Amino acid sequence: MTQYYLPKDKVPIPPPNAEVFTTACDYCIVACGYKVYRWPVGKDGGPSAMDNALLADFPLEPLGKSGVAWYGPNNHNVVMVNNKPHNIIVVADAETGAVNLNGDHSIRGGCIAKKPYNPNTPTRDRLQRPMIRIFDHLMPVTWDFATDIFAEMSNYVIDKYGANAWAHKQYSYQYWENTYALTKLALRHIGTASFSPHDQPGPGGDAIGLRDTGYAKFAPSYWDWAHADTLFISGTDPYETKTVLWNEWILPAINKRKMKVIMVMPRKTMGAAYAEANGGLFLQLIPGTDTVLQNAIARQIIEMDGIDKEWIKKWTNNKWETDSGFGQGTRNSPWQWRSTWGKFETSGYDNGKKSFKTWLFSQKEFELNAAAELTGVSAAKIKKAAEMMSQKKGKPTKVSIALEKGNYWSNNYGNTVSIASLAVITGTGGRPGRMIGRLGGHQRGGRGGGKYIRTKGPEKNEGRRKKPIDLDRWLVSGHVRFANVVGCTWVSGMAGAQGGIGDAFNRQTRKNAHQVHSFNKSEIISTLKKRVDSGGMVVANWDIYLRDPIGVKYADIVFPAATWGEVDFARANGERRCRLYSKFYDAPGDAKPDWEIAGLVAKKMGFPGFDWKDSNQVFEETARFSRKSRVAYDSIVWMAKKNGMKGHELLGKLGTTGIQAPVRIMDKAYANSKDPRINRPGRKFAGDQQEVLKGLEWRGGVLFATVRQHDTEMKMPDTGHPERTIFNKLELKYKSQTGKLNLLKSPWNQFSDFWEWWKPKGEELWVTNGRINEIWQSGFDDMFRRPYITQRFPENWLEIHPEDAKARGIESGDQLVITCDRVPIQKDYNQAVFSGDFMFSNLMKQGHIKLTKASITGVAIVTPIVRKGTTWTYFQNPHQPANALVPMVPDWVTNRYRFKLGVGKVKKIGESPYKRTYRAFSFARRDIV
Amino acid sequence: MGAKKAEAITTGYPRQKVASLSSLKTGKPVEFKYPDTKKYSGSFIVKLGTEAGGGVGPAKDVVAFNNFCQHMGGKMLDGGYKAADKAVGPCPYHQTTFDLTRHGIVISGHSTESISQILLEVEGNDVYAYGMMGLIYGRHSNL
Repeated sequence: MTQYYLPKDKVPIPPPNAEVFTTACDYCIVACGYKVYRWPVGKDGGPSAMDNALLADFPLEPLGKSGVAWYGPNNHNVVMVNNKPHNIIVVADAETGAVNLNGDHSIRGGCIAKKPYNPNTPTRDRLQRPMIRIFDHLMPVTWDFATDIFAEMSNYVIDKYGANAWAHKQYSYQYWENTYALTKLALRHIGTASFSPHDQPGPGGDAIGLRDTGYAKFAPSYWDWAHADTLFISGTDPYETKTVLWNEWILPAINKRKMKVIMVMPRKTMGAAYAEANGGLFLQLIPGTDTVLQNAIARQIIEMDGIDKEWIKKWTNNKWETDSGFGQGTRNSPWQWRSTWGKFETSGYDNGKKSFKTWLFSQKEFELNAAAELTGVSAAKIKKAAEMMSQKKGKPTKVSIALEKGNYWSNNYGNTVSIASLAVITGTGGRPGRMIGRLGGHQRGGRGGGKYIRTKGPEKNEGRRKKPIDLDRWLVSGHVRFANVVGCTWVSGMAGAQGGIGDAFNRQTRKNAHQVHSFNKSEIISTLKKRVDSGGMVVANWDIYLRDPIGVKYADIVFPAATWGEVDFARANGERRCRLYSKFYDAPGDAKPDWEIAGLVAKKMGFPGFDWKDSNQVFEETARFSRKSRVAYDSIVWMAKKNGMKGHELLGKLGTTGIQAPVRIMDKAYANSKDPRINRPGRKFAGDQQEVLKGLEWRGGVLFATVRQHDTEMKMPDTGHPERTIFNKLELKYKSQTGKLNLLKSPWNQFSDFWEWWKPKGEELWVTNGRINEIWQSGFDDMFRRPYITQRFPENWLEIHPEDAKARGIESGDQLVITCDRVPIQKDYNQAVFSGDFMFSNLMKQGHIKLTKASITGVAIVTPIVRKGTTWTYFQNPHQPANALVPMVPDWVTNRYRFKLGVGKVKKIGESPYKRTYRAFSFARRDIV
Repeated sequence: MGAKKAEAITTGYPRQKVASLSSLKTGKPVEFKYPDTKKYSGSFIVKLGTEAGGGVGPAKDVVAFNNFCQHMGGKMLDGGYKAADKAVGPCPYHQTTFDLTRHGIVISGHSTESISQILLEVEGNDVYAYGMMGLIYGRHSNL
């Protein structure tokens, strides 16, 4: 990694005949629209509008006023197209109709031109050939050779040990074409229950309390985040992690509409500081105490009579309605178990002894002063937040509520239920500017090519309630014989990364006696069979770079993948906006898209239905499986076919604006109506009124976008809907049998046994972790291969409060060691018999928890932006994996990790080189307003 | 490394007197234009009071930068020089801040390059600009 990036003082200009492609940023969920200009090296244009493809005169104006955003050296690269070098500039699209208006962009997207392979840059280590580990050396082989071994070993393991011995961990976002093909292989054909997405121990939702309440987690549009009176944001600062959502939607609403933002986090970054300085509020809570804070605010709102009474009456289930069909579907569903446990279900808002209100007021932790002490947020601030969210007589307060990982990755169920309850009582979640949802992390590119079969999994709650697997625990306890890892960082990305999953991978691969020492294919296979028969496992890793440790240390088989810009792909952003990500250059070497690799191995394993010729064919096949989802795009493919186009082609025509899903085909008169109950607030940005859609019709119907879900005031057509359009209840109502919301309990005592045991003792501090604006969903590019960013963040760091630093003799720039000698690992146990068996205190008592040691290094940044007693570090630097300090004990209700609750002791071991040099790093605070 | 002078990576820049050491007051930026007087040449020189990358003068604490944010062209001094943090910003448009002790690297924000640093040298009491690191906002070439 270079720390000595010297910026250039020139950029080339695309000539008038440069080719132009549209795409969206590959990184965070906001997915800003970009244009790629491409032209052969040596054919540059000039600075006057008539001499360039930008149609703009240099120098360019600020804020995209020239019709094009200015671009610097990091927007430029040289790539190969048909073996000829071409210049590209990748520039935020100043003419887009949505998301990143005015050519706005993040630092990540602004540097995305540096992502494509160019051997003159640090991308030179892109994987280009399939490899097999022989003599502990990954050596290039042919696709045929590598896939033979993959297929034979997979079939051997599945036949001999069952499908659950064949484990599959994959990204859940890297484009619909790929996720569909991968899940078609793993779930539909292999049928393994040993499956988990990149950041979770097993399948299932992240914000499960929202779902149990009845809210879809990506229902709002970006317009809604700009049109509240009070916006409550918990567990993230969108300035840091949803940059352009902040820049173009939230920030202007603060400045122009005087929207008030309440931000809840242990760490004060720019957005929080700005909100506080502009009529908002910053609640700097102690990690893990959100349930107490949210319920305490709810109680205060009720005490000041600030609830939305009419809304509650109209939209919440009473006891009978909650019980009917158990609210949400089949008897063996997670919602159904939870409602029968009696721990969470209520009889409605204030209907009797078992009502939400009675329960809320009976919980001593939610009383104002008790809550202030537990959360570290003053009673005055809790009251102030309640006032800001309260409904005033005669003038409703439009409240919107956003949450993200800092909220749901500590006390998953309690936090997501209590934030949803806060929404219900304030009338949030079904009207323009009054919405609740996740702000999101990665883009939404998951498409199920098969169903996860929960009943095949090994885990169950008390009674006969099957739950999805905890794949990490399954692997740690030795049940996995083949681990297939696609585009994710299994080990460092998971909790207990050193003492838990890391230790198990090492034991079951490198430390096994059977290592390949031959180039003979049948000898390789017989050695690997001996390995799995002796309790070891074979590891395959599909990726664009060799990641440490999964690829570098453990993989036996490596497949090189093609990625963004190298193949046409499609997916959606955080407001369900679908777009085409165009191919604009050739993937390096022998790299192939994951859908194609899945096809190669699936065919060799004997499965039908993998004969795709191109990416569009896969896309069109995926479409019908999207029909009931929030990103339903089946109508796009149908409309394309009926108009003689390909699915990708029509999506591509929609350019950077794209279209907000679910996309329907609706009668033209309805779609073009000016009735505000049809032409909903925010529709201007939805993407279905573009010139390119004109003339595209099928049986009198046109494509019609969905601005928001749960749009309770929207008018449906009088005469039903054209064929091909499935209207989901969620467009107007909620996810329950009745279409109304469930008000649920979120008792602190379902979590407090763990929290009390784990919270820092003696010299320990909280070591919470998170994302930063400069590196986010982009680690593989930014941490190693973008010199400007690696100069800024050459390694991991720990932000520590000045008082905690002083007590330990620490100054900014000191080299630190952060250690913990009691990281709990739930090493076994997946069949609960009695109620409460999975509670942490019972797991401890019954010997299912092992305490392990973990240690990482980091560079000190002494800064008042973190609270005293709480430090903060970047969540996933492969060299210094902060997840090692995170407990490998998931929330027992939902199987979700408490990633944000690390604990450790902090010690100085000397000075880092950055302390007294000036080229790299910065120790300045991140909240300067 | 340290506060040693960085090499200009392009030659051909004018050598221009931009300030005199004795007139610079710690924490008070002074504006000037460089490398020409055309659009976006607005720049500032500031005595930070602590040693800095590319800093000149006896304490190696005098640095100069172009005044336009590399994100979308905001005027950084409108956000203000923050003496306590040796930072400039936040940018009035989207709040990017830059660390002036570290060659203008982004502290927090969206800029795809560090704020362009103007290379300085001292002759007696006179401070001269003689080159730049980084492209000036809005332009395709600095010269």
